Amino acid sequence: MNRRWRPHWDRWLARRIPASGSVRLTQRRIFIVPSRVGGAFMIALGLMLLAGINYQNSLAYGLTFLLASVFVVAILHTYRNLAGLTLKAGGTTPVFVGEAGRWRVRLESSGRAHQAIALGWLPADLQSVDIAEQGSVTCELNAPTTRRGWLRPGRLRVESRFPLGVLVAWSWVDLDQPLLVYPRPLPGELPLHAGADQQSPEQGRLAHGQGADDFQGLKAYQPGDSRRRLDWKAYSRGQGLQVKDFASYSGLELDLDFEALDGDIETRLSRLCHWVLMLSERQQSFALRLPGLYRAAASGDAHRDACLQALALYGSPP
Amino acid sequence: MRTKLDACLSAVNQILLGKEPQVRLAMACLLARGHLLIEDLPGMGKTTLSHALARVLGLSFQRIQFTSDLLPGDILGTSVFDKDSGQFVFHPGPIFAELVLADEINRATPKSQSALLEAMEEGQVTIEGATRPLPEPFFVIATQNPVSQGGTFALPESQLDRFLMRLSLGYPGKAAERALLLGDSRRSLLPRLEPILDHRELGLIQAEIPQVRASDALIDYVLRLVDATRTQPQFAWGLSPRGSLALLAAARAWAFLAERDYVIPEDVQAVLPAVVGHRLRDQADPAGHGGSALVQWLLREVPAL
Amino acid sequence: MSALPTIPRISLTWLLVAQALVILPLLAHLPLWILALWLGCAGWRVQIFRMRAAFPTAWAKGGLMIAAGLGVYFSRGSLVGLDAGVVLLVAAFLLKLLEMRSRRDALVLIFLGFFVVVTGYLFDDSILVALFSLLPVTALLAALIGLQQSAIAQRPWPTARLAGSLVLQAVPLMVLLFIFFPRFGPLWSLPGPNDKGVTGLADSMAPADIADLSRSGALAFRAQFEGEVPARSELYWRALTLERFDGRRWSQSSLAQSPQTAQWQAAGESLRYSVVMQPSGQPWLFSLDVARTSLDSTRLMADFRLQRNRPVDRSLLYGVESWPQAVREPQLDAARRAVTLQLPADGDPRTREWAAQLKREHPHSEQLVQALLRHFNQQPFSYTLRPPRLGRDSIDGFLFDTRSGFCAHYAGAMTFVLRAAGIPARVVAGYQGGEFNPAGNYLQVRQFDAHAWVEYWRPQIGWTRVDPTFQVAPERIEQGLEQALSDEQSFLEDSPFSPLRYRQFAWLNQLRLGWDNLNYGWQRWVLGYQGTQQLELLQRWFGQLDGRLLALVLVGGGGLLLGALALWLFKPWQRERDPQQRLFRQFARLLARQGVHWQAGEGARAYAARAAGLLPAQAAAIEAFADLYEARRYAGEAIADAQLWRQLRLLRRALPWRLRVADKRTQ
Repeated sequence: MNRRWRPHWDRWLARRIPASGSVRLTQRRIFIVPSRVGGAFMIALGLMLLAGINYQNSLAYGLTFLLASVFVVAILHTYRNLAGLTLKAGGTTPVFVGEAGRWRVRLESSGRAHQAIALGWLPADLQSVDIAEQGSVTCELNAPTTRRGWLRPGRLRVESRFPLGVLVAWSWVDLDQPLLVYPRPLPGELPLHAGADQQSPEQGRLAHGQGADDFQGLKAYQPGDSRRRLDWKAYSRGQGLQVKDFASYSGLELDLDFEALDGDIETRLSRLCHWVLMLSERQQSFALRLPGLYRAAASGDAHRDACLQALALYGSPP
Repeated sequence: MRTKLDACLSAVNQILLGKEPQVRLAMACLLARGHLLIEDLPGMGKTTLSHALARVLGLSFQRIQFTSDLLPGDILGTSVFDKDSGQFVFHPGPIFAELVLADEINRATPKSQSALLEAMEEGQVTIEGATRPLPEPFFVIATQNPVSQGGTFALPESQLDRFLMRLSLGYPGKAAERALLLGDSRRSLLPRLEPILDHRELGLIQAEIPQVRASDALIDYVLRLVDATRTQPQFAWGLSPRGSLALLAAARAWAFLAERDYVIPEDVQAVLPAVVGHRLRDQADPAGHGGSALVQWLLREVPAL
Repeated sequence: MSALPTIPRISLTWLLVAQALVILPLLAHLPLWILALWLGCAGWRVQIFRMRAAFPTAWAKGGLMIAAGLGVYFSRGSLVGLDAGVVLLVAAFLLKLLEMRSRRDALVLIFLGFFVVVTGYLFDDSILVALFSLLPVTALLAALIGLQQSAIAQRPWPTARLAGSLVLQAVPLMVLLFIFFPRFGPLWSLPGPNDKGVTGLADSMAPADIADLSRSGALAFRAQFEGEVPARSELYWRALTLERFDGRRWSQSSLAQSPQTAQWQAAGESLRYSVVMQPSGQPWLFSLDVARTSLDSTRLMADFRLQRNRPVDRSLLYGVESWPQAVREPQLDAARRAVTLQLPADGDPRTREWAAQLKREHPHSEQLVQALLRHFNQQPFSYTLRPPRLGRDSIDGFLFDTRSGFCAHYAGAMTFVLRAAGIPARVVAGYQGGEFNPAGNYLQVRQFDAHAWVEYWRPQIGWTRVDPTFQVAPERIEQGLEQALSDEQSFLEDSPFSPLRYRQFAWLNQLRLGWDNLNYGWQRWVLGYQGTQQLELLQRWFGQLDGRLLALVLVGGGGLLLGALALWLFKPWQRERDPQQRLFRQFARLLARQGVHWQAGEGARAYAARAAGLLPAQAAAIEAFADLYEARRYAGEAIADAQLWRQLRLLRRALPWRLRVADKRTQ
């Protein structure tokens, strides 16, 4: 598409098919034109018509007209194969830069079966699925990630060439499901806040290695607690999900600091990301300092996710 | 019978001012043989509501204040050696009442909590090898304080599921509070309440609730709701079959209170926040209490017809 | 096009089936080795699919192609021309299947298949072939659909069903296109297929040729009269005149192709009729004397035969007007006279002598002809399709020795005698009679109706038709060949199963005539639906016709048909399957018109309450409907839908825009 017209086209499309978590493909949202196969089909029909004319053969005319009519009827069938389909955002799973981003899209039929529905982001290959009558399918779409932050992959192309392949019906939908991309973890020195206890990382690790954290008892599992600390034995005894509660020495709390690192912003964020992951894995409580943001010391999956999100979104407009 | 029910409701409403919807829900919950969880700040009238309900329904009432040192025996009862007979004699705990108020249930240890919850589920308790049935009818109204979490053991999901409804009373309206301030102490009014229903009548009503008609069209609506919680991405998990059963039972009771012998979608919608609010979690916020936003979404987006 | 590397199983299955169906009707017109090639290719392909064989290597492919080319060259004698072209096309169609790997190859194969079906029509365009060809077309479409289906193969039948339904749904549109799409003349001339094996009259005649034709029950042409069908004995269908005699054969004279125009004057009543001719491979058309036709590039030649400027190699429809009593060529020019008096230099001395004697006895040509006919009638001449052999002087032998033969013998001998007596005369070849088909009100004329008769010339009166066979076997003229040969049992003796032999069984005959009627309609309305006929039909329907109107009809009619099909496919009235839901949607539409839109999460009662609040004047009607609806849907009360509709009508009347209309009316 011409660069000059691109914004106009996007605006027009945004008005016609507004971004939404659930898009039902209707008449207004489906476009349909002959495909390249359709062009070849028409040329073949032209040749057959020529044979009919030159041999004055009514049956050759008849077959040409029959196939031309099939072509026209296929417009309705191709449209029908796409119409009535509902696409719903099925959520995303955050990934690190460089990993393939994964978007789940749910396709629901509101009546008819839909065959060979292709979807994806051009120019990459489209993924093809069948949806049974009244059924639904969740398919996972992939796209490469190149930078951290919210990744919006652009409009999703949904197309169908079924039944004959001579026409292509398509729609561009925006399911409004951005993917959170964390910085790529980069191993490096532990960046500790200068104001905190001047404690070397070795000491921190030592403390951990000695098992200094005291076992306090069990407490009921709350979503957000680290799953690594689940007491599976208690669970198997039928006491429900319980979490081993450790108290850690407050003095050993680590304070990750953006300012303690040098290098460009992305490198620093990558280092921090690495340590957030490392410390979370060890169930070490830590705090995170970014310019203009402070996350108090805590541990657990929820804390880790919050920290990663803060790293991913650092510097991007709120 | 229904006039008596109305009388019950208005009697409770006179004690607990300006809380008609919550009182009605609480009544529906009891009629549907469900247990009730009231989540609110202290002093909002949780105890008053339970006590008033017990009085008008003619039920025996016991209150258990849950504390961190409460032991299961304190709830269920213990056997004490009787010197006269030379035998162990069972002293039933407070749970052997028809309406039990478990106050601040999240203050007790999980062990004590589960003693109560198992009794709720099974309608009987097993102590020292002997199984003892709980009275019939048997209701538990549990309360918990959502704000002060220090030193509490929040109920896990599996336990929350056992409560048919979760209610929140909230602050009274201005007029109601004015009346509250001018009038007598609410608690002092309680003893004046006369039982309006007896056990037999309550049993009849409870037996009638499952007879309330739920047409195919209505079941379809319930299924659409349940399906939405299971397929929409914003739900961390979907409603369990127990949840959908609870929804229908509560809707039936609500329709019965509205003097109808069939359920309409509006009944389902009326009980939906109370029945499913504590069973749902927002995907984006698994630790928080996104339930009510999800319920609003369900009410708004799932076609009722 | 996202080129999938492999071809789905369903598509391959249907391609194999389609190939068989495409080839089958063509086999009669193809050399035998094509059959072997087809079986080999299909078998190899199946083995490839079962992973038991590899794809052909480049060498194998090249070798096969060269072998196929050589095969075409040796069996057809050339690599160009239609016959060779068809064989090449079929060979390509077969070989392409073998080497097909990608979806693009499969597409090429499918399109080739359509072309082969079209070429099949050039060889045979009967109704059965046309109907049969729907099978390969459907199978090819099924293969095309199979290409689009997801690779995880399902069963093949639903695909074929879908293809079939596509074809069926396309039929109305096809009929519209067929009727209204303008027909053009050929853009350039192309040779027709050679081996159609047509039988019919040739441009020269030895008696045995007519006898050969008499053994064939094949159709020559059909004719439908406007008004009364003339008596059978008047139905002399002229094809051509044979003016040259070399002692054995009669053939067209050198004058036959002269650009001279026919000299004639119309007289008496004219007959109007239309003829649908089977392909004859010859340029002349069949007509009663003296004919005029509207068919273009056809003219009446000087010997009164109709001739087209190219052979009739596919069935042809033309309208004719004939004047049987017209005076033909009252003046004979010298060249024509010379030609119609021509005799071989010698031979048949006895006949020449007898002719001289007759001439002396009957100076007037009229009397001479009568005497000659009397001679045939009174002498022991007999009519047979199995005449004895004749010697070198065939006319002498026939007239004086064997005295038995059929029309060609009698016509030839009579013309010879007349010429020898100095009277210009010639043999006319054509058909006589025909079978009337009451089901379709038309005559069918078959090859065994082929006949030869005589024309002689008199000054001022011109050419006069005379039929010596009538004197010998009047039943041949009045009833037909079968009756003329009833003693001999030689009618269609070579084809014992021809339904024509069993005309005595009424039901069989009925069936045969019905079938023939169907074929006639097919020929006339489908195969013959070309330029002039289309124009006539369209003018009858629309009067004056121009391109704009035609385009309008095509586009408008197509749009209507497509709209109807869309309605049938999408069934918008059934989008809501639940009748009560339909009711509610109607209710919501009524209120939406007043600005109260239903929201998804709203129950009937809540919606009605909201609407009643906004439209207090109609509150009663709105709530009455909602109550009724609720009682029906949720309380399970036995309320008929009709009652709900009635309530809805009440509401519609109660709503303001209705009132406004009523107000206007009262004013």
